Amino acid sequence: MSTSASETTAESVGAPRTIPRPTSESRYFWDACARHELVIQRCTSCGRCWFPPSNHCQYCWSEDFAWTPVSGRGELYTFTVFRRAYASELVEQIPYVVGVVELEEGPRLITNITECETAHVRVGMPVEVVFNDIAEGFTLHAFRPREDPQSPGTGAV
Amino acid sequence: MYQRSAAIVGAAHSQLGEVPGSTAIGLMADAAVAAVVDAGLTPSDIDGIVVRGPDDEYCFHQQLGERLGLNASFSTSLDNGGASQSLAVILASLAIEAGLATAVLCGYARNSWTRTRRSGSRNARMNQSTHARIREWRDSFGYFGEPATHALGAQRHMATYGTTKEHLGHVAVSVREHATRNPHAQIRWPLTMDEYMDGRPITDPFGIYDCSLRTDGAGAVVVTDVARARDLPHTPVIVRGFGSQNNLRGWTVDDHMVQTAAKASGELAYRSADVSPSDIDTAQLYDCFTYMLLVQIEDYGFCEKGEGGEFISAGALGLDGEIPTNTSGGQLSEGHVEGMLQVVEGVRQLRHEYPAERQVTDAELALVSGHGGNTVCHSTLILERGR
Ligand SMILES: [Zn+2]
Repeated sequence: MSTSASETTAESVGAPRTIPRPTSESRYFWDACARHELVIQRCTSCGRCWFPPSNHCQYCWSEDFAWTPVSGRGELYTFTVFRRAYASELVEQIPYVVGVVELEEGPRLITNITECETAHVRVGMPVEVVFNDIAEGFTLHAFRPREDPQSPGTGAV
Repeated sequence: MYQRSAAIVGAAHSQLGEVPGSTAIGLMADAAVAAVVDAGLTPSDIDGIVVRGPDDEYCFHQQLGERLGLNASFSTSLDNGGASQSLAVILASLAIEAGLATAVLCGYARNSWTRTRRSGSRNARMNQSTHARIREWRDSFGYFGEPATHALGAQRHMATYGTTKEHLGHVAVSVREHATRNPHAQIRWPLTMDEYMDGRPITDPFGIYDCSLRTDGAGAVVVTDVARARDLPHTPVIVRGFGSQNNLRGWTVDDHMVQTAAKASGELAYRSADVSPSDIDTAQLYDCFTYMLLVQIEDYGFCEKGEGGEFISAGALGLDGEIPTNTSGGQLSEGHVEGMLQVVEGVRQLRHEYPAERQVTDAELALVSGHGGNTVCHSTLILERGR
């Protein structure tokens, strides 16, 4: 495991994990994750962003785009707590949280929510990206609360 | 415009539930033969097949034609997930109107219970996706299975509209209550709210009773033209209208999780049938999970958006409720045959063939839905009791 700040992520979300096989379209994204950078594609023609990676802008079909670093901040759009393991290597990780995070830049990502008691995870809570080095040269993104999830006033939609 | 010239004249299902050693194609043939017999037709009358089997079975229609000795002027297997079965009836109706076929067999079969037993895969990676894009963007994060996908929608609906776990419980309890009167249902004992709340947790907010069943089973219907239907044994069930909508941009984008493709599909269907939600006497909805039934009740306009929980908790789904729904027990209790049993039940209710304890009184119009294809595809039928 990495000794970076993401170590707690690895503890709480768990390894070993399924390591995705990057495609020609996604390799840049995963390589950036390995450098602990979150990037998405921004269309050079219309300026909009999309995710997951693909070679055409979803809005104007342009093939001209730029990989753009994003803030890594967003809100938790929705989530679910897995109480049951669908894969034997995940038995030890139960319960864990799969969430959909809406980035400030617009696109929504499927990810894990970490550094937060499952009972305190709330739709609408502000979150920020962390990185989880799950294998040599391979890193998954996860998100943690930006505020103390137990403090009053957080968690409203 | 569709001229309302098609009718369902035969409907049947195979044995349902745990059918050890069964194959999907064998169950499909059982239901298909029974539906043709029910229609009062013979093998040589059938010249169309629109079916679907398990996703790993190539050209299911071809397998069925080979087994039953049928050529077809119009045939295909569908790939719209749980929306395929209502879509099959839509395609059959259009094919009949266009003269591509005169009598079309529509159906679906699966042997999910047997497959699970055979592979012993309950604790293995039973849901690893075969779809590379899903493997990459879901499996990597420990996101497996359809329960989670629908749970994400349920959680968003709860946060947005105040829907509660108890509201979902009322869906499960209401649908089970119908199943207690269905001798073919896979699960027939009554479900109490306490049992529901104590159900084994799966993926929040879902427990085991929010999830549909693992079923071996098949359903089939026969569609022909209205004129011919009048000479056949049963009261014809007219395909009065239909709609479809496929939110292919995805489940996690826009507001697709809380206002599903059922909304636009339903609007098309109501326009096509020239009826409104208040005209519908019974709904047979695709209840893969409790939430999916609740959100469709809203999307189809049986109550206001966001009020589905309260509406259902007040008894709306019961036989004497505002909109008797999934009157055979649905996929949560009768058996999960991907929406095909919803079509069969709609037909049976409109034929008035049940004893009073199961019959929706004076049912004239039924709405049937199909939902699937990674949660974004939807089809709607509006069926009418013929004369
Ligand atoms: Zn563009």
